[in-house]
Amino acid sequence: MKKAIDTEKIKQFQSMREPLTLQAAIRESNRCLLCFDAPCSAGCPAGTDPGKFIRQIKFYNYKGAARTIRNHNILGSVCAFLCPVEKLCERACSVKALEDPINISGLQRFATEYGKHFQIEPLRKSEKNQGKIAIIGCGPAGVGCAAELAKMNYDVTIFEREDMAGGVPKWNIPEFRLPAEAIAYDVENLLSLGVDIRFNATIENNEAISMLLAEGYMAVFISTGLSVALKIDLFDNYINALDYISFLRSVKFDHNNIDLKNKNVAVIGGGSVAVDSAVSAKACGANKVYLISLEHLDELPADKGEIELAREMNITFKAGCQITDVNANEKIITGLKGMEVEWIKPENFSPSNVRKVEGTTFALNVDLVVQAIGTKPGYEISRFHKSLQTRGKGIIEVNDLFETNLEGVFAGGDVVNAGSTVVQAVGEGKKAALSIDNYLKNRENKA
Amino acid sequence: MKAQADLSIEFCGVRFENPFCLSSSPVGNHAEMCARAYDAGWSGIVYKTIGLERSFNVVMPSPRLNTLNVFDKRFVGLQNAEQITDRPIKDNIKDLLWLKKNFPHKVLISSVMGYVDEDWAELAKMSEDAGADILELNFSCPQMAHKTAGYRTGQDFHAVEAFTEIVKKSCKIPVIAKMTPNITDMIPVALAAKRGGADAISAINTMRAITEIDINNFTPLPNIHGHSSPTGFSGPSVKPIAMRFVSELYNSKPLNLPVSAIGGIETWIDALHFLLLGATNLQVTTGIMRYGYRIVEDMIEGLSDFMIERNIQSLSEIIGKAAQKIVDPSEFNTRFQAISMVDEAKCIGCGQCYISCQDGANQAMIFDKISRKASVDEERCVGCMLCKHVCPVWDCITYKEVDTTKIRHAAIF
Ligand SMILES: Cc1cc2nc3c(=O)[nH]c(=O)nc-3n(C[C@H](O)[C@H](O)[C@H](O)COP(=O)(O)OP(=O)(O)OC[C@H]3O[C@@H](n4cnc5c(N)ncnc54)[C@H](O)[C@@H]3O)c2cc1C
Ligand SMILES: Cc1cc2nc3c(=O)[nH]c(=O)nc-3n(C[C@H](O)[C@H](O)[C@H](O)COP(=O)(O)O)c2cc1C
Ligand code: SF4
Ligand code: SF4
Ligand code: SF4
Repeated sequence: MKKAIDTEKIKQFQSMREPLTLQAAIRESNRCLLCFDAPCSAGCPAGTDPGKFIRQIKFYNYKGAARTIRNHNILGSVCAFLCPVEKLCERACSVKALEDPINISGLQRFATEYGKHFQIEPLRKSEKNQGKIAIIGCGPAGVGCAAELAKMNYDVTIFEREDMAGGVPKWNIPEFRLPAEAIAYDVENLLSLGVDIRFNATIENNEAISMLLAEGYMAVFISTGLSVALKIDLFDNYINALDYISFLRSVKFDHNNIDLKNKNVAVIGGGSVAVDSAVSAKACGANKVYLISLEHLDELPADKGEIELAREMNITFKAGCQITDVNANEKIITGLKGMEVEWIKPENFSPSNVRKVEGTTFALNVDLVVQAIGTKPGYEISRFHKSLQTRGKGIIEVNDLFETNLEGVFAGGDVVNAGSTVVQAVGEGKKAALSIDNYLKNRENKA
Repeated sequence: MKAQADLSIEFCGVRFENPFCLSSSPVGNHAEMCARAYDAGWSGIVYKTIGLERSFNVVMPSPRLNTLNVFDKRFVGLQNAEQITDRPIKDNIKDLLWLKKNFPHKVLISSVMGYVDEDWAELAKMSEDAGADILELNFSCPQMAHKTAGYRTGQDFHAVEAFTEIVKKSCKIPVIAKMTPNITDMIPVALAAKRGGADAISAINTMRAITEIDINNFTPLPNIHGHSSPTGFSGPSVKPIAMRFVSELYNSKPLNLPVSAIGGIETWIDALHFLLLGATNLQVTTGIMRYGYRIVEDMIEGLSDFMIERNIQSLSEIIGKAAQKIVDPSEFNTRFQAISMVDEAKCIGCGQCYISCQDGANQAMIFDKISRKASVDEERCVGCMLCKHVCPVWDCITYKEVDTTKIRHAAIF
């Protein structure tokens, strides 16, 4: 079988996935059972409707498939690269009871590529006569909400801190997993709907929301994601201990200036972002890359495919280990000391639940440390509005309709779900758009 | 959100929003089913063939279906042992009335089968009164093997002409004669229908066939309590035969009647094939039995996109375009000769082309066991292209024109 992962491509900072050929797409779509009430479609958080687009591919209606994806999921191309399908649509696939599930994201990549290559007509810009809506943050949730509102003829303005659209997929997700063209294509589709994006427009004034509402925006959707990485106190004050957000961003946009040849890198963390960081370090030429996690090998939160990728890239797993000490030359870390650990109570994977195992001390020479242990919202959320209800580290509280405690203010995506997936964020944005529409229609009826 | 091409057609003087219709069969058994089909996008329905209880006492056999399976591909053809409707005529007429009332802009075609002259006249009149836009005369059911009904009528030119004439006298709506493929030449039968006054021809009904034998008890399938029969075969497997008949009907100068094509249509490409061979209208059964009414969505969207890409304003521009290219084999231009070419970079080294050429063609394929690559011995290749059809990489083997001064024959040792 053709290898699913092309490590050479990773080293060239290019997409590691070969597109499905027409022949392969025909074959794969013909394995699909075209289920009644397709379970795969119910398994997609953004409602991309794979049951339908696979049927369209099977019946040679490739442009139709591309339209279905784009009309249901404005980030359809991005999702086709990034979705953890084994937990979503493919997990629900009926074929699983007989053989391997249908390669849904592969077919989704095929169809979106086809639609792009053969230029399906652009999405139509409608007359914006339903009033103004403000969206804060142009990541997947904001984009998903904007597209849906624009289709319902709302006049949508997105306020974005950065100078380009796309959120985490744009800035942090490595090119080998997501080619830039995928985001560019999806954003182009968003723009053709007539959505206005204001770049370099950080919203952080604690009167911001009140001001937007006063300026005539009838509702506000907050989708600011999680933009600050959590850090470990031990590494405070060392200049070569980065967090994964800034590390991945500089690899993505500046890899020509990052030379890790003959250098050793330690990545702290055991999830997908840790693997992405480790693989990126390898791609930059690093000698040894260690993936250091409290979780043991069989407990790693990263999924199977990612762990396999790390193996292919010769990453050294230091699973079930904790860093206990740092060797440093002034402000520069030169080495790490650590020990193996075990859990005190089972099934509770928290740092406070570990016990060091005597006689397992080890030392590593390292030139760079990357911390990939989680994120939180990028500022005190309450700064948007002093009575916006939050929990934990600033996660916004919403009800089933994605309404916050403030009238006319909605929120969705990572800033609400504490970090999930692109497709989940798009889905929440879409659902919030429907709630906003309902809310405004009800308000009008009452008036 | 998307531009939709104009797929409308005119057939028998009736406007159809698109060429896609249900053919007469269980897919149009009663009003509720037909209503769902209309809603799904089908422009017209040929209702399940109706008859009179006084002539046909229909009791359906069971089981009544079997499929043709080829290795892992199931349902490449369907065999059925079904007859015309087993519902009372008054219920069917009530359904036709309801359908016309509720779907006035859709086309309703009543398929009828009589036994004696009076039956045909009465069924035609009843259908017209119930609101049918068009009639289809079922001269072709393999299972209604009475002496003057079913496919045996369809093999009898005189009966076809006479019954068509009676129907034409009994109603004013246009009449389609539905042909059986269980015949050597369809043209004389179609001409008989024309003499009787038919406005159009539809083809094909099912082929008499046996799909399978149960090797445990030596009984052909479907096993109807110990017996079976060569019965109606349909679906993708019969499409090539239907295409042949449709092109012959279209190309027949004396006939010169519009054609409704039936047989194995499942996709917009199948539909396009039939249009290019001269069909104006298209009917489907097996594709719907297998996948449901929903397949019409992809036929509409796929055909519409094709038209937009090619800047085709109306289907009438392309109807019959491929039929024009059909000639007698004696008229082929054999001055053009070609040989096959293997794209070495695409070859995956399976050697299937080698085996097929070695045992089924001209021993012109060379297979290098070390490099595991195929290549062509240009001296021996006769350009039959068997190799291309067995190669698992669809675009690996192609052909190129060669010098035609050399006359090539099968290899002689
Ligand atoms: C390294 C990494 C790899 C990942 N891999 C995957 C994967 O493979 N598959 C997957 O499905 N998910 C993956 N994720 C998760 C996914 O990226 C997020 O779930 C998703 O991006 C959340 O979307 P969002 O719109 O809620 O937030 P974000 O993507 O964070 O977007 C928020 C946007 O708001 C802007 N913003 C923030 N604050 C302000 C402000 N005050 N004013 C104006 N604008 C502001 C930001 O600049 C940003 O553009 C990954 C995440 C990371 C970090
Ligand atoms: C189960 C079944 C029942 C059918 N019954 C009728 C019928 O009552 N009248 C008729 O004219 N044709 C009947 N047909 C033939 C179809 O209308 C059609 O001509 C044939 O199946 C070929 O088209 P297809 O390949 O799309 O199925 C029947 C076909 C099937 C499979
Ligand atoms: S968007 Fe993602 S989850 Fe949804 S169908 Fe496509 S690959 Fe599956
Ligand atoms: S669940 Fe699987 S088999 Fe069923 S429609 Fe979806 S992809 Fe096809
Ligand atoms: S059949 Fe095709 S792939 Fe196989 S050896 Fe021949 S040319 Fe190569």
